[in-house]
Amino acid sequence: MTQRQIISEFVIEPGTGKAIELLQGQILRVEQIEGGQCADFNCFNLHDYKEFMHCGRTRTVHGFHPTKGSFMWSAPPRERAMLYILEDTVGRNDVLFPRCSAYVYEASYGFAVHTNCHDIQAEAQREYCLTPDDVHDSFNLFMCTGVDADGHAFMTRQTTRPGDHVDLLALMDVLAIPNVCGADVMKTSNFALKPLKLTVFAARPADLAEVPKVPTLASQRTPRDFRNPTIKSDRPLRRDPSYKPEFPNTPIVVTELPVPLTPEEVAIFNTVKRTDIYGDDDAAALRDLLFSWWEERFLLAHAGAPAIESQ
Amino acid sequence: MTDTVVKLRLNQQQLELMDRTIAQGVAPDRVSLVRLALREYAAARKAEAASGTPQ
Repeated sequence: MTQRQIISEFVIEPGTGKAIELLQGQILRVEQIEGGQCADFNCFNLHDYKEFMHCGRTRTVHGFHPTKGSFMWSAPPRERAMLYILEDTVGRNDVLFPRCSAYVYEASYGFAVHTNCHDIQAEAQREYCLTPDDVHDSFNLFMCTGVDADGHAFMTRQTTRPGDHVDLLALMDVLAIPNVCGADVMKTSNFALKPLKLTVFAARPADLAEVPKVPTLASQRTPRDFRNPTIKSDRPLRRDPSYKPEFPNTPIVVTELPVPLTPEEVAIFNTVKRTDIYGDDDAAALRDLLFSWWEERFLLAHAGAPAIESQ
Repeated sequence: MTDTVVKLRLNQQQLELMDRTIAQGVAPDRVSLVRLALREYAAARKAEAASGTPQ
Protein backbone atom coordinates (compact mmCIF):
# COMPACT_ATOMS: atom_id res chain seq x y z
CA MET A 1 0.00 0.00 0.00
CA THR A 2 1.31 3.49 -0.85
CA GLN A 3 2.56 5.75 1.91
CA ARG A 4 0.48 8.74 2.86
CA GLN A 5 1.97 12.06 1.82
CA ILE A 6 2.95 14.16 4.84
CA ILE A 7 1.70 17.74 4.55
CA SER A 8 2.90 19.14 7.86
CA GLU A 9 4.22 18.07 11.25
CA PHE A 10 4.14 19.78 14.63
CA VAL A 11 5.00 19.01 18.21
CA ILE A 12 2.73 20.62 20.78
CA GLU A 13 4.55 21.17 24.03
CA PRO A 14 2.93 20.85 27.48
CA GLY A 15 0.66 23.80 28.16
CA THR A 16 0.04 24.50 24.48
CA GLY A 17 -2.21 23.69 21.56
CA LYS A 18 -2.27 24.35 17.83
CA ALA A 19 -5.00 25.46 15.43
CA ILE A 20 -4.59 23.61 12.13
CA GLU A 21 -6.46 24.17 8.87
CA LEU A 22 -7.40 20.61 7.99
CA LEU A 23 -8.96 20.41 4.56
CA GLN A 24 -11.46 17.84 3.36
CA GLY A 25 -9.56 14.66 2.55
CA GLN A 26 -6.71 15.38 4.94
CA ILE A 27 -5.91 13.33 8.04
CA LEU A 28 -4.74 14.70 11.38
CA ARG A 29 -2.79 12.19 13.44
CA VAL A 30 -2.50 12.93 17.16
CA GLU A 31 0.32 10.77 18.45
CA GLN A 32 1.88 9.93 21.77
CA ILE A 33 5.60 10.77 22.03
CA GLU A 34 6.27 9.52 25.55
CA GLY A 35 2.85 7.95 26.22
CA GLY A 36 0.29 8.70 28.88
CA GLN A 37 -0.89 12.09 27.61
CA CYS A 38 -4.49 13.21 27.11
CA ALA A 39 -5.28 15.58 24.22
CA ASP A 40 -8.33 17.81 24.22
CA PHE A 41 -9.74 18.67 20.82
CA ASN A 42 -12.04 21.30 19.29
CA CYS A 43 -13.16 21.52 15.68
CA PHE A 44 -14.98 24.18 13.63
CA ASN A 45 -16.18 24.40 10.04
CA LEU A 46 -13.33 26.43 8.52
CA HIS A 47 -15.76 28.51 6.47
CA ASP A 48 -18.43 29.03 9.16
CA TYR A 49 -17.27 28.85 12.77
CA LYS A 50 -20.86 28.65 14.00
CA GLU A 51 -20.81 25.02 12.87
CA PHE A 52 -18.72 23.15 15.42
CA MET A 53 -18.18 19.63 16.74
CA HIS A 54 -20.86 18.54 19.21
CA CYS A 55 -19.91 15.98 21.82
CA GLY A 56 -23.55 15.56 22.85
CA ARG A 57 -24.73 14.47 19.41
CA THR A 58 -21.59 12.38 18.95
CA ARG A 59 -22.12 10.45 22.20
CA THR A 60 -25.75 9.69 21.41
CA VAL A 61 -24.65 8.15 18.11
CA HIS A 62 -21.42 6.43 19.11
CA GLY A 63 -21.47 6.17 22.90
CA PHE A 64 -19.19 7.69 25.51
CA HIS A 65 -15.96 6.42 23.94
CA PRO A 66 -15.85 7.16 20.20
CA THR A 67 -13.12 5.19 18.47
CA LYS A 68 -12.18 3.81 15.06
CA GLY A 69 -15.26 3.84 12.84
CA SER A 70 -16.98 6.72 14.65
CA PHE A 71 -17.82 10.10 13.19
CA MET A 72 -17.56 13.43 14.99
CA TRP A 73 -20.80 15.35 14.37
CA SER A 74 -21.57 19.03 14.31
CA ALA A 75 -24.24 20.54 16.54
CA PRO A 76 -27.90 20.89 15.57
CA PRO A 77 -29.25 22.23 13.35
CA ARG A 78 -26.24 21.40 11.12
CA GLU A 79 -25.66 17.79 12.29
CA ARG A 80 -23.12 16.86 9.67
CA ALA A 81 -20.28 14.39 9.95
CA MET A 82 -17.21 16.62 10.28
CA LEU A 83 -14.54 14.00 10.95
CA TYR A 84 -14.16 10.25 10.73
CA ILE A 85 -11.91 8.29 13.08
CA LEU A 86 -9.87 6.22 10.65
CA GLU A 87 -7.51 4.68 13.18
CA ASP A 88 -7.24 4.46 16.94
CA THR A 89 -4.50 2.26 18.34
CA VAL A 90 -5.81 2.54 21.92
CA GLY A 91 -9.61 2.74 21.68
CA ARG A 92 -10.21 4.79 24.78
CA ASN A 93 -11.38 8.36 24.14
CA ASP A 94 -13.97 10.44 25.95
CA VAL A 95 -16.95 12.67 25.22
CA LEU A 96 -18.28 12.72 28.79
CA PHE A 97 -16.01 15.25 30.47
CA PRO A 98 -15.92 18.92 29.65
CA ARG A 99 -12.55 20.58 29.21
CA CYS A 100 -10.75 21.34 32.45
CA SER A 101 -10.71 25.04 33.30
CA ALA A 102 -9.00 27.60 35.50
CA TYR A 103 -12.02 27.46 37.81
CA VAL A 104 -11.42 23.75 38.47
CA TYR A 105 -7.81 24.32 39.49
CA GLU A 106 -8.62 27.34 41.63
CA ALA A 107 -11.69 25.84 43.32
CA SER A 108 -10.32 22.36 43.95
CA TYR A 109 -6.55 22.81 44.11
CA GLY A 110 -6.05 26.47 45.08
CA PHE A 111 -4.04 27.53 42.01
CA ALA A 112 -4.15 31.20 41.02
CA VAL A 113 -2.91 30.16 37.58
CA HIS A 114 -2.64 26.65 36.19
CA THR A 115 -2.47 25.10 32.73
CA ASN A 116 -6.01 24.12 31.72
CA CYS A 117 -7.65 22.96 28.53
CA HIS A 118 -10.12 25.81 28.25
CA ASP A 119 -7.46 28.51 28.40
CA ILE A 120 -5.08 26.55 26.16
CA GLN A 121 -7.85 26.06 23.58
CA ALA A 122 -8.82 29.74 23.80
CA GLU A 123 -5.24 30.83 23.25
CA ALA A 124 -4.78 28.50 20.27
CA GLN A 125 -8.12 29.59 18.77
CA ARG A 126 -7.19 33.27 19.20
CA GLU A 127 -4.89 32.82 16.17
CA TYR A 128 -8.15 32.65 14.17
CA CYS A 129 -9.82 35.52 16.07
CA LEU A 130 -12.14 33.30 18.10
CA THR A 131 -12.91 34.32 21.68
CA PRO A 132 -12.76 32.29 24.91
CA ASP A 133 -16.56 31.98 24.67
CA ASP A 134 -16.17 30.10 21.38
CA VAL A 135 -14.33 27.14 22.96
CA HIS A 136 -16.74 24.20 22.93
CA ASP A 137 -17.03 20.86 24.72
CA SER A 138 -13.93 18.85 23.98
CA PHE A 139 -13.36 15.48 22.42
CA ASN A 140 -10.83 14.05 24.86
CA LEU A 141 -8.36 11.78 23.11
CA PHE A 142 -6.73 9.00 25.12
CA MET A 143 -8.76 10.00 28.20
CA CYS A 144 -9.84 6.97 30.23
CA THR A 145 -13.27 7.65 31.73
CA GLY A 146 -16.45 5.93 32.79
CA VAL A 147 -19.61 6.40 34.82
CA ASP A 148 -19.77 5.14 38.38
CA ALA A 149 -22.73 3.52 40.10
CA ASP A 150 -24.14 6.81 41.41
CA GLY A 151 -24.09 8.39 37.95
CA HIS A 152 -20.94 10.51 38.22
CA ALA A 153 -18.36 10.53 35.46
CA PHE A 154 -14.90 9.46 36.60
CA MET A 155 -11.47 9.50 35.04
CA THR A 156 -8.55 7.20 35.64
CA ARG A 157 -5.03 6.59 34.40
CA GLN A 158 -4.31 5.70 30.82
CA THR A 159 -2.08 3.00 29.37
CA THR A 160 -0.99 4.64 26.11
CA ARG A 161 2.54 4.08 24.84
CA PRO A 162 4.86 6.02 22.49
CA GLY A 163 3.50 5.81 18.96
CA ASP A 164 -0.11 5.27 19.97
CA HIS A 165 -2.26 7.51 17.81
CA VAL A 166 -5.69 8.56 16.61
CA ASP A 167 -6.19 9.46 12.94
CA LEU A 168 -8.98 11.95 12.21
CA LEU A 169 -10.06 12.28 8.57
CA ALA A 170 -11.66 15.61 7.65
CA LEU A 171 -14.95 15.19 5.79
CA MET A 172 -15.20 18.97 5.33
CA ASP A 173 -12.71 21.83 5.62
CA VAL A 174 -12.22 22.38 9.36
CA LEU A 175 -10.14 24.25 11.85
CA ALA A 176 -8.85 21.44 14.07
CA ILE A 177 -7.42 22.40 17.45
CA PRO A 178 -5.74 19.73 19.57
CA ASN A 179 -4.06 20.68 22.84
CA VAL A 180 -1.97 18.95 25.45
CA CYS A 181 -4.35 18.54 28.37
CA GLY A 182 -3.21 20.76 31.23
CA ALA A 183 -4.07 18.34 34.04
CA ASP A 184 -0.93 17.31 35.93
CA VAL A 185 -2.57 16.94 39.33
CA MET A 186 -5.23 14.50 38.12
CA LYS A 187 -5.04 10.94 36.82
CA THR A 188 -5.97 12.07 33.27
CA SER A 189 -2.40 12.02 31.96
CA ASN A 190 -0.85 9.91 34.72
CA PHE A 191 0.25 12.99 36.73
CA ALA A 192 2.69 14.44 34.16
CA LEU A 193 2.48 16.73 31.13
CA LYS A 194 4.14 15.44 27.98
CA PRO A 195 4.38 16.73 24.38
CA LEU A 196 2.26 15.28 21.57
CA LYS A 197 3.10 14.90 17.90
CA LEU A 198 0.71 16.13 15.21
CA THR A 199 0.99 15.06 11.60
CA VAL A 200 -1.23 16.12 8.71
CA PHE A 201 -1.42 13.64 5.85
CA ALA A 202 -3.18 13.60 2.51
CA ALA A 203 -5.66 10.73 2.60
CA ARG A 204 -5.10 7.93 0.10
CA PRO A 205 -8.00 6.58 -1.95
CA ALA A 206 -7.95 3.53 0.33
CA ASP A 207 -8.45 5.79 3.36
CA LEU A 208 -11.41 7.54 1.77
CA ALA A 209 -12.92 4.20 0.77
CA GLU A 210 -13.12 3.19 4.44
CA VAL A 211 -15.65 5.91 5.28
CA PRO A 212 -19.24 4.63 5.41
CA LYS A 213 -21.83 6.71 3.62
CA VAL A 214 -24.08 8.78 5.87
CA PRO A 215 -27.44 10.29 4.97
CA THR A 216 -27.88 13.77 3.56
CA LEU A 217 -31.19 15.07 4.94
CA ALA A 218 -33.27 18.22 4.62
CA SER A 219 -33.03 18.66 8.39
CA GLN A 220 -29.27 19.31 8.17
CA ARG A 221 -29.81 23.04 7.97
CA THR A 222 -27.44 25.84 7.07
CA PRO A 223 -27.78 29.61 7.56
CA ARG A 224 -29.64 29.71 4.23
CA ASP A 225 -32.47 27.93 6.04
CA PHE A 226 -32.47 30.13 9.15
CA ARG A 227 -35.18 32.71 9.79
CA ASN A 228 -32.41 34.76 11.34
CA PRO A 229 -29.10 34.04 9.58
CA THR A 230 -27.29 37.10 10.94
CA ILE A 231 -24.72 36.49 13.67
CA LYS A 232 -25.35 38.81 16.61
CA SER A 233 -22.51 41.29 16.92
CA ASP A 234 -23.18 42.82 20.34
CA ARG A 235 -23.49 41.25 23.78
CA PRO A 236 -26.74 42.42 25.42
CA LEU A 237 -29.95 40.57 24.62
CA ARG A 238 -32.86 42.75 23.61
CA ARG A 239 -36.30 41.69 22.49
CA ASP A 240 -37.09 41.96 18.77
CA PRO A 241 -40.40 43.87 18.71
CA SER A 242 -41.26 42.40 15.30
CA TYR A 243 -40.89 38.81 16.54
CA LYS A 244 -43.81 36.51 15.84
CA PRO A 245 -43.41 32.90 16.98
CA GLU A 246 -43.27 30.29 14.22
CA PHE A 247 -42.74 27.03 16.08
CA PRO A 248 -42.86 24.03 13.76
CA ASN A 249 -45.94 21.82 13.66
CA THR A 250 -47.92 24.01 16.04
CA PRO A 251 -50.51 24.01 17.33
CA ILE A 252 -50.25 20.41 18.47
CA VAL A 253 -53.73 19.00 18.02
CA VAL A 254 -54.82 15.83 19.80
CA THR A 255 -57.51 13.64 18.28
CA GLU A 256 -59.14 10.48 19.54
CA LEU A 257 -58.71 7.14 17.83
CA PRO A 258 -61.20 4.60 19.21
CA VAL A 259 -59.61 1.15 19.14
CA PRO A 260 -61.96 -1.79 19.75
CA LEU A 261 -60.19 -4.66 21.49
CA THR A 262 -61.58 -8.17 21.66
CA PRO A 263 -61.69 -9.90 25.05
CA GLU A 264 -58.62 -11.87 23.97
CA GLU A 265 -56.79 -8.66 23.07
CA VAL A 266 -57.79 -7.07 26.37
CA ALA A 267 -56.35 -10.09 28.17
CA ILE A 268 -53.07 -9.70 26.24
CA PHE A 269 -53.04 -5.98 26.93
CA ASN A 270 -53.53 -6.56 30.64
CA THR A 271 -50.41 -8.72 30.75
CA VAL A 272 -48.13 -6.08 29.22
CA LYS A 273 -49.56 -2.65 29.96
CA ARG A 274 -47.45 -0.37 32.14
CA THR A 275 -49.78 0.21 35.08
CA ASP A 276 -46.70 1.19 37.12
CA ILE A 277 -46.51 4.34 35.03
CA TYR A 278 -50.05 4.90 33.73
CA GLY A 279 -52.20 3.44 36.49
CA ASP A 280 -55.71 2.84 35.14
CA ASP A 281 -55.23 5.11 32.10
CA ASP A 282 -55.47 2.38 29.47
CA ALA A 283 -55.40 4.92 26.63
CA ALA A 284 -51.99 6.21 27.73
CA ALA A 285 -50.73 2.66 28.29
CA LEU A 286 -51.84 1.56 24.82
CA ARG A 287 -50.25 4.62 23.21
CA ASP A 288 -47.00 3.77 25.02
CA LEU A 289 -47.22 0.21 23.76
CA LEU A 290 -47.86 1.37 20.19
CA PHE A 291 -44.81 3.62 19.98
CA SER A 292 -42.59 1.32 22.02
CA TRP A 293 -43.43 -1.38 19.47
CA TRP A 294 -42.67 1.02 16.64
CA GLU A 295 -39.23 1.78 18.10
CA GLU A 296 -38.46 -1.90 18.53
CA ARG A 297 -39.52 -2.78 15.01
CA PHE A 298 -38.39 0.18 12.93
CA LEU A 299 -35.68 2.22 14.67
CA LEU A 300 -32.20 1.76 13.20
CA ALA A 301 -30.47 3.55 16.08
CA HIS A 302 -30.70 3.81 19.84
CA ALA A 303 -33.83 5.69 20.88
CA GLY A 304 -33.14 9.42 20.75
CA ALA A 305 -30.13 9.03 18.46
CA PRO A 306 -30.28 9.65 14.72
CA ALA A 307 -29.82 6.75 12.35
CA ILE A 308 -26.61 7.25 10.37
CA GLU A 309 -26.92 4.41 7.92
CA SER A 310 -27.33 5.72 4.40
CA GLN A 311 -30.49 4.46 2.72
CA MET B 1 -68.72 -10.88 24.15
CA THR B 2 -68.54 -7.18 23.25
CA ASP B 3 -65.33 -5.41 22.41
CA THR B 4 -63.73 -2.98 24.83
CA VAL B 5 -63.02 0.36 23.19
CA VAL B 6 -59.83 2.18 24.21
CA LYS B 7 -59.77 5.77 22.97
CA LEU B 8 -56.19 6.59 22.07
CA ARG B 9 -55.26 10.28 22.22
CA LEU B 10 -52.81 11.00 19.43
CA ASN B 11 -51.44 14.22 17.99
CA GLN B 12 -50.91 14.97 14.33
CA GLN B 13 -47.24 13.92 14.40
CA GLN B 14 -48.03 10.58 15.98
CA LEU B 15 -50.78 10.01 13.43
CA GLU B 16 -48.38 10.92 10.62
CA LEU B 17 -45.93 8.26 11.80
CA MET B 18 -48.75 5.71 11.94
CA ASP B 19 -49.93 6.66 8.46
CA ARG B 20 -46.44 6.41 6.97
CA THR B 21 -46.10 2.98 8.57
CA ILE B 22 -49.46 1.95 7.11
CA ALA B 23 -48.34 3.25 3.69
CA GLN B 24 -45.45 0.75 3.85
CA GLY B 25 -48.02 -2.04 3.94
CA VAL B 26 -47.50 -2.98 7.58
CA ALA B 27 -51.24 -2.81 8.33
CA PRO B 28 -54.35 -1.75 6.37
CA ASP B 29 -55.50 1.01 8.72
CA ARG B 30 -54.79 2.75 12.05
CA VAL B 31 -56.86 0.41 14.23
CA SER B 32 -55.26 -2.63 12.63
CA LEU B 33 -51.85 -1.12 13.22
CA VAL B 34 -52.56 -0.72 16.95
CA ARG B 35 -53.81 -4.29 17.16
CA LEU B 36 -50.72 -5.56 15.33
CA ALA B 37 -48.54 -3.58 17.72
CA LEU B 38 -50.33 -5.14 20.69
CA ARG B 39 -49.84 -8.68 19.42
CA GLU B 40 -46.21 -8.22 18.40
CA TYR B 41 -45.27 -6.25 21.52
CA ALA B 42 -46.81 -8.91 23.77
CA ALA B 43 -45.10 -11.69 21.81
CA ALA B 44 -41.76 -9.96 22.21
CA ARG B 45 -42.27 -9.63 25.97
CA LYS B 46 -43.20 -13.32 26.18
CA ALA B 47 -40.04 -14.24 24.26
CA GLU B 48 -37.94 -12.05 26.53
CA ALA B 49 -39.44 -13.65 29.62
CA ALA B 50 -38.69 -17.10 28.21
CA SER B 51 -35.07 -16.19 27.46
CA GLY B 52 -34.53 -14.27 30.70
CA THR B 53 -33.84 -10.99 28.89
CA PRO B 54 -35.05 -8.05 30.99
CA GLN B 55 -38.02 -6.06 29.69
